[in-house]
Amino acid sequence: MLGAIDQGLITAVLALGVFLTFRILNFADLTVDGSFTAGTATTAILIFNGAPPVLATLAGMLVGAAAGCVTGLLHTKAHIDPLLSSILVMLAMYTVNTRIMWGGADGQHRSTVGLLNKPTIFTWLVEARLRGTAVSIAFIGAIVVVAVVFVNWYLSTKFGLAVMATGDNPNMASSMGINTDLTKIATLAVANGLVGLSGALTAQYTGSASIGDGTGMILVGLASVILGNAVFGTRFIWLMTVGVVAGSALYRVAIFFALRWEFLDNADMKLMSAALVVIALVLTQSKSAHALVTKLTPWRAKAGVPEPMTVEPNPFSPFAEVDSAVQSAVEPRAERVRGVVRPGDDRGGRPMRPEAGTSVLTAPVVPPALTVPPADKGGE
Amino acid sequence: MLTLTHVAKTFYPGTANERQALRDINLELAPGDFVTIIGSNGAGKSTLLNVIGGSIPVDEGTVVIGGQDVTRQPEHRRARRIARVFQDPSAGTAPHLSIEQNLAVALSRGKRHTLTPGLTKARRVELRTHLATLEQGLESRMKHRVGLLSGGQRQALSLLMASFTHPDLLLLDEHVAALDPERTELVLRLTADMIAESGLTALMVTHNMEHALRLGNRLLMMHEGRILHSLGPAEKAGAQVGDLLEWFSREHALDDRTLLT
Repeated sequence: MLGAIDQGLITAVLALGVFLTFRILNFADLTVDGSFTAGTATTAILIFNGAPPVLATLAGMLVGAAAGCVTGLLHTKAHIDPLLSSILVMLAMYTVNTRIMWGGADGQHRSTVGLLNKPTIFTWLVEARLRGTAVSIAFIGAIVVVAVVFVNWYLSTKFGLAVMATGDNPNMASSMGINTDLTKIATLAVANGLVGLSGALTAQYTGSASIGDGTGMILVGLASVILGNAVFGTRFIWLMTVGVVAGSALYRVAIFFALRWEFLDNADMKLMSAALVVIALVLTQSKSAHALVTKLTPWRAKAGVPEPMTVEPNPFSPFAEVDSAVQSAVEPRAERVRGVVRPGDDRGGRPMRPEAGTSVLTAPVVPPALTVPPADKGGE
Repeated sequence: MLTLTHVAKTFYPGTANERQALRDINLELAPGDFVTIIGSNGAGKSTLLNVIGGSIPVDEGTVVIGGQDVTRQPEHRRARRIARVFQDPSAGTAPHLSIEQNLAVALSRGKRHTLTPGLTKARRVELRTHLATLEQGLESRMKHRVGLLSGGQRQALSLLMASFTHPDLLLLDEHVAALDPERTELVLRLTADMIAESGLTALMVTHNMEHALRLGNRLLMMHEGRILHSLGPAEKAGAQVGDLLEWFSREHALDDRTLLT
């Protein structure tokens, strides 16, 4: 169980990278599978060759960042669609990673690198038999805290604001003088650097690296981001990043308990990851699920202003009928809440009365009975 | 301030859909000029602004701003000197960012996006002062997401974000067309005030002849990619809506595609 949290915290670093691309940059980046293996392979082969573990870890991070850079260049300079450019890099990285693994001092061609009896940054934990204890959680947790602080700092800078604007509205960003090519490439590099770091830590924690390490890691990252944001909300960037870390740990713990069920095997993990992501994605489209989660996490709503859903509610969702049933059951209460919703909140899900009480721009909240219908909109 | 020489742009050349959006446009703007542009659908008004702003490359001709040839400069480089407000209120702002974050992005126009803090106490104070000039009460909602604002509020914010850094050139592309009459008046008033206060050089595209006559010191009438008629300050001051219609019809520019009000 504590070992699962260890691993969850290591993948949290990857999830923070996925958060940067998927949530902030709005870029479906599948490079992750390639850059994760780049992290494990580079770090493992360098340690295998006798390099200091810390340097090897940094190298793993840099190779991951380089992969992200290439994805960014393909997208911005060669005008290839985000999904396709990242898939291309993911594929290309398979060869690069294989070649990296062939780089052992003995010149052998291998597809796995074992780090038995080699010094890693976790050696002291292994020797003291502290792996999977509170001590290892604290140690890895400290690395994760650094990563969380880094991501929050990155996004709080002028450059970070430009990155967020690029992800939110690229046309507005370039009309504001933001070089969107640069913000995209840099953020993809940073994100995949985090993914590479996560790979570097994984290789040292498990004591081995193999060419298949990265397969499906994008889903693990995505599951953590969706799970974390659904539970913790999206009100502040820091809350989202903390949610991503918690989501990653939660995800590993869930897998840990699922695997205790004898029917399931380690090999079922990928299917379970995929299923979890599907369930999370479908649930986030449901208004009642959103309402329920919001009720359980009071910090998300502020003074009657409900937090907007992260995705538009889907009228064709399998939960649409449940939604309407729940909605009609709580309608009288919803009426009261609606009065407080700020005018112009077109993201709240429920259709609003056409501009009632908002005939003036400043829009003080006027009870509907007192409002004059908006003036004739004809003319133009 | 702005000089266009022999600017031409053709969309989909060599195909059945070929359309000459701009034909040999020549235009000279002095500093402080506020030019309104009017014309029917497909006259090339928006293309003209996009060509100046850099979001559409020209086929021929040169664009010179403040003595510098920017014809080959990408949009984000030009944006250091050119600010734009779009027709769609959601186009000029980032909906998921807060009001203060949007303003901070606008404040960095023309400067390097460094790794220094984007929002400091001093910057927040500065932004709040700017926001207060809109008189929309938005200064008390600095942390609200822009997506929560109404169309009129967003457009007022876009206008502020475009003008408070005093760009060399302000491009307004039918920026009141998506608003109801009341908000239209408000945004137009803000536009006139901001341009007058900062002495900005501006180009405003509109479908509305009355707005085109009321605002600005010069007026351009466009049709099928050409500038039909250019009114200087003296001519414009005495012109009526009827005169504009007269000029358009003289050039057979009033057909069933004409959508003017």
